[in-house]
Amino acid sequence: MPSIDLTTILTLLTVGFLWIGAVAVLWAGDGRRQMQNLLAAGFAVAAGLAALGLLPLATGQAVVRIAMGSFFGDFTFVPDGLGVFLAAVATVVGSLAVIFSIDYMHEEAQLGRYYALVLFFIGAMAGLVLAGNLLLLFLFWEMVAFCSYALISFHNDDPKAVAGGIKALVITQLGGLGLLAGVLTAYATLGNYQVEYFLANAHTVPPAALAVIAFGFLIAAAAKSAQVPFHTWLPDAMEAPTPVSALIHAATMVNAGVYLLARFYPAFADVPGWRTAVMTVGVLSALLAAGLALMATDLKRVLAYSTISQLGYMVYAVGVGAIFASQFHLLSHAVFKALLFLGAGAVIHLVGTRDMQQMGGLGRQMPFVRNVFVIGALALAGIPILNGFWSKELILEAGFAGGPFAAYVIMLAVAGLTALYTFRTVWLVFFGPPGADSPSRERNPAAGDAPPAMRVALGTLVLGTFVTWLLAGPFGNLLEIGIKGPAFGHVSSTLRVVEEVLAAPTTLIALIVVSLGLAVWYWRAKLPANATASGAAGFRAWFARDGGFEGLNHAIAGLIQGSSEALRTTQTGQLNWNIVGIAGGLAIVLAILALGA
Amino acid sequence: MNELTPLAAFWLIAIPLISTPLIYLAGRLQVSLAAGTGMGGGRKLVTANGQVVVATTSATPRTPAPDVARWLGLMALAATWAPFIGATRDLIANGPAKFGLESIALRFDGLSLLLALLALGLGTLVMLFSGQGVSGAAGTEKYYTLLVAMVGLMIGLACAGDIFNLWIWFEGMAVASYLLVGFHHEEPAALEASVKYLVQSAAGSVLVLLSIALILAQTGTLNLEEIRNTAHTTPGLLAAGALLMMGFGVKGALVPLHTWLPDAHAQAPSGISAMLSGVVVMAGIIAILRSLAALAGVTPSWGSLLIGFGVLNIAFGNLMALRQTQVKRLLAYSTLSHIGYILLGVGIGVAYGQPAGTQGGLFHMLTHGVMKGLAFLAAGAFLYGLQPLFESDRGKLTQRSDAAHASPLLISDLAGAAQRYPLVAFTLSLALLGLGGLPPLAGFMSKWQIFVAGFATQNPVVGGLVIFAALNSVLSLAYYMPLVNMLYRQAPSKLVEHGRAIPLTMLLPLGLLAVTIVAIGIWPGLVYWLIEPAGRVLLASFGG
Amino acid sequence: MNLAPLNVALVGVLGLLGIGMYGLLMTRNLIKTVIVLQILVKAAVLALVMAGSAAGQIHLGQSLALTVIVADTIVAVVGLALAIQVRRRCGTLDVQALATLRR
Repeated sequence: MPSIDLTTILTLLTVGFLWIGAVAVLWAGDGRRQMQNLLAAGFAVAAGLAALGLLPLATGQAVVRIAMGSFFGDFTFVPDGLGVFLAAVATVVGSLAVIFSIDYMHEEAQLGRYYALVLFFIGAMAGLVLAGNLLLLFLFWEMVAFCSYALISFHNDDPKAVAGGIKALVITQLGGLGLLAGVLTAYATLGNYQVEYFLANAHTVPPAALAVIAFGFLIAAAAKSAQVPFHTWLPDAMEAPTPVSALIHAATMVNAGVYLLARFYPAFADVPGWRTAVMTVGVLSALLAAGLALMATDLKRVLAYSTISQLGYMVYAVGVGAIFASQFHLLSHAVFKALLFLGAGAVIHLVGTRDMQQMGGLGRQMPFVRNVFVIGALALAGIPILNGFWSKELILEAGFAGGPFAAYVIMLAVAGLTALYTFRTVWLVFFGPPGADSPSRERNPAAGDAPPAMRVALGTLVLGTFVTWLLAGPFGNLLEIGIKGPAFGHVSSTLRVVEEVLAAPTTLIALIVVSLGLAVWYWRAKLPANATASGAAGFRAWFARDGGFEGLNHAIAGLIQGSSEALRTTQTGQLNWNIVGIAGGLAIVLAILALGA
Repeated sequence: MNELTPLAAFWLIAIPLISTPLIYLAGRLQVSLAAGTGMGGGRKLVTANGQVVVATTSATPRTPAPDVARWLGLMALAATWAPFIGATRDLIANGPAKFGLESIALRFDGLSLLLALLALGLGTLVMLFSGQGVSGAAGTEKYYTLLVAMVGLMIGLACAGDIFNLWIWFEGMAVASYLLVGFHHEEPAALEASVKYLVQSAAGSVLVLLSIALILAQTGTLNLEEIRNTAHTTPGLLAAGALLMMGFGVKGALVPLHTWLPDAHAQAPSGISAMLSGVVVMAGIIAILRSLAALAGVTPSWGSLLIGFGVLNIAFGNLMALRQTQVKRLLAYSTLSHIGYILLGVGIGVAYGQPAGTQGGLFHMLTHGVMKGLAFLAAGAFLYGLQPLFESDRGKLTQRSDAAHASPLLISDLAGAAQRYPLVAFTLSLALLGLGGLPPLAGFMSKWQIFVAGFATQNPVVGGLVIFAALNSVLSLAYYMPLVNMLYRQAPSKLVEHGRAIPLTMLLPLGLLAVTIVAIGIWPGLVYWLIEPAGRVLLASFGG
Repeated sequence: MNLAPLNVALVGVLGLLGIGMYGLLMTRNLIKTVIVLQILVKAAVLALVMAGSAAGQIHLGQSLALTVIVADTIVAVVGLALAIQVRRRCGTLDVQALATLRR
């Protein structure tokens, strides 16, 4: 039994506040909405503060240890640098999403179910990144999947929401099988579930088994982080209430995959082909999703695709070996993507549609939302001096130095595409000519800007996009605590990061590409008309089919449903036929025994 | 092994069996007294068109006389807990115990304890639950009597030490269950299910008898331990093993023999569905394992066969459940797939000498009993709540006219049920999520242990099968989730809006089972005193 | 040991089993199904007696046989009772008509 010190208490409170909050909200009941709002926001903020308080206390030691019995090992929590950082991201961004929900969900029924699931979701994610036991990690992994399902299909009278939720659940669970196989293989070969033990003894695992673990974890991470070929669930998850989308995209769910790769990178880096596979997944996802984002007309789908694309950057960075850069970009992305989603939520809340073609000209009506959204968009596009710029540059630089050149070129091009689709989105929503049947004019002539609770959340995030990059130095030091490995890149101070980025030639190249993307959008009308038309048509046709992945999903689902229906005919209800089953079963067993023994 | 008189284990079997006739007599007495005075109870009247109605002759049907049979049954089962605790203590302190009446060899070991706990635990809760569920039907005293008898017979089966004895207990349990499945004998569908169950089960029991004859002829003994010591590889004993597996396998619902199960589970009164799925089927599995263990020396392939049937059951059950529209039928098919997980775990344990396997399989037997018991009881609570509407206004309310089906509870009937019945909906959701293997619920932990055993063999084929089983677990979410989702819809169905309140005696068992699911899920060590000895006994009996 | 009666009995067992299985697979009448089940049980009873005699424990075989006869009479009674109910509710004893539960 370790002594009860502050670290232990804060670790337990980070998860505990959220789960107690979930129960408290349910207990309050749907009759008392104000009470529910207060409880949810209070517990979420408390958990965020606990996680922030944990930042300076990060340690590589297990602080909680519960013996679970023979086949389950000891459940431990290890608040090391990486874990504490991600827990802080999850709880802080999560609590902002909860605060935002107070306004956003004010007309919804079943508020208790909503808040309870949201708090449980954030708590599960915090538990996931703090877990020091592979089984415990898997447990939280599954809980996160369940919560995402329940929240995506929160509007469960809408078949689209239900289908989207079940799709998210089944696809991430399929990926979870990889994690299951990996964890079980690790336990079978090492006889221990502890993460630290595994990282320290990975070299003693037979190569074949280690390959199973490495690629199993990669599959799990790809499914959770919505990377190719598992990315199809994320756009469909847009049926969720918008704060939930912000949670999934910025705070909790998709970060889990990148976390998994970063956490176990030291063990897997030497597995043949693993780093190449990670890079390939990242590059393909970044490229495909950027193209899809360019085509989409649904505001939230654009943001969803951009998440996939940005996660592609992070995965690519892990493949290259730049763990620091990938986690730094994760931080930036969490801030600006939460900002974009909550901003989009404010827009959708006002306009009542997600179709960008029906928006346009909203800038004058909601200047506050416009301003914050534009800042988020600039950060996403990688414009200096916002946080997205620094982290993306670091990734590109590391890719140039440590990865194949072709991958670097593609990622560079994606940076240009990112700028292109970001500006297209901002233009369509806030500046372009109002859509033909824009409801913004007719239905809500008096509708104002964002209400106060929304402003609190949005304002905090705007501040974040300006300042989080200044934390690069402390952040680098934080990551050093706990995990060992040269791959983390010894980042000692923010100044060095700044110098490094500004001095690198890749920065200039990247900025040129980004401005190229901007220019393409600005002068889109002046481009040769037939070139854009024919190019776009082919492009559009390919992306409309989502590169064929959506078709694959349908084919598999259809096959399973079809075989289920076919199999059901075997239950004829005829007694004589049932007897045939008994006689047949006996004959088969006798035959097997006669042949086998 | 001690030879002390295990008095507790004896009374564990004896109390339910001795009280059975008393309960029946008391129940009949009450019915005939009531008929004499025209108060309470119920009499069957056959109307002109052949329909049987139950005439509640009491002027105030809302306050029926206390059901003597039910209370006696409840008391009998409650009294049985005392020797159960005693027997458990003896077992933990002194290890397995042999006892017997004259030449009837009985033994009480870890495996007996597990099955006894399942039977007694679920039996008590079902007894508590069944009060309002079956009231109004004719012959409730028979229901309670048979339920107590079934519990006693299953505990006896769990303790049987010779193979013929095993058969006798098994047959007794089977007869009780045929009658209970067909309890609503005014419904053709229930009769149909009962008939199929009886014929298939009886055919299976003939196979077991043939196997007993073969074993007797080849080894000259019926005692399981003596058989184990004398059995060698001969064609006759191989055939005997196959006959045992298929004979008990009918009751254990191995896949080509499973056809009775969905019908019986769906048509029986819900409490009985819970008993069937949670215990009776498991008694079949235990019977297979007990008897095959005696033939362990005949061939090493029993474990592989169990694994094979396990995988077949998992895949088949899941695919069948995927497109079901009736709640109880869906649950029935999901039972098939969970039998598969149990067989897979035990098979891995037996084939590769993995203690994690046998323990995991039996652990899953326990957790499945709790989860599926809860699921069926919750379905029963809904059936009770919505029942008046099935009979009268259903056609009006749902615009469906499939009167041919005797009021099955469709998944769509439960839309928005959480608003009217929050506790029932919540517990049912817990049960379904647990069955789907989501943490931190009981089902996850037991499945995990089975998977650990599979990977511990370090055999790629077994590893692949485990991944396949896990894949099926994911697939199963595709039918559990829509049901959970339906419960939490915002627009309630007409049926739900007009439902009646569910009494406390029904809610109490639901709550208890739900707490158990969460408790085991958070701390699986809670049941290790039960699982570990059972798994050890099983593995040892297979010579592992 | 005199083998001839055992062989005769073996033929009897197999013959009864054959008739029983054939009947179970083919018959559509519920009463006949119950009768066929009894034929199968009688095959098993014969087999038990035979096994007892082969193992030199004819008394054991006989007592098993008696017990089985008693036990399976109960099953037969229940089966026939169900058949009566089926005839009354469904108006038929045809098991093929008794196939509303399917899929």
